[in-house]
Amino acid sequence: MARRPPISNRVRELREQHGTMTQAELGDVIGVTRQTIIAIEQGRYSPSLESAFRIARHFGVGLEDVFSWDE
Amino acid sequence: MPFQEKSAWVMSLSLVLGAVFYFGVVTAMSPDFSRLAPPTLPVVAVFTMVLIIVAILGHIAIAALSPKDANKPLDERERKIFHWAGHVSGNVFGLGVVSSLGLYLLFHSGDLLFYGVFASLIIGQLAEYGTRIFLYRTSV
Repeated sequence: MARRPPISNRVRELREQHGTMTQAELGDVIGVTRQTIIAIEQGRYSPSLESAFRIARHFGVGLEDVFSWDE
Repeated sequence: MPFQEKSAWVMSLSLVLGAVFYFGVVTAMSPDFSRLAPPTLPVVAVFTMVLIIVAILGHIAIAALSPKDANKPLDERERKIFHWAGHVSGNVFGLGVVSSLGLYLLFHSGDLLFYGVFASLIIGQLAEYGTRIFLYRTSV
């Protein structure tokens, strides 16, 4: 469970590109807590498919533009 | 710090305070019986009251500090954390109960069985709150 998932993401980068959106604001939009957004951005937590789609749709990009599998 | 992590700290504190009170009273009573004092309802009742009062006051305090977070439902990561913590707690409690049953088979003491199961309940709950805090701070 404590193993870091082999998935990287561009959530922080996309969030910073979208003005001054805070982690808490993104969390409110997606329906998770600020701590969960922090964990996602740090790569400590892989969100559910639903949350991943919500994040991608919010930024207007595809799922693979946000998340990528690290081999 | 997330509200649920604060809540886990409050519950851990209330459990530790209650356990110190309870087993302190049992230890103090035991020399009078020249053996382990039998469990009594009033001491258990006071333990429960201490637990409830500290937990309520603690939760009022942390909810006052962050009322918005206090009303939020658990999100997907928190549900995973709670699930894992419950799993750990169940295992710890089960191990404690089996150990207590083993002690009963060895010593044939119902009092010891009661205290063993009671302590297992407390340790199991502490394991749950400890696991929650650990997972909130590390990973899921």
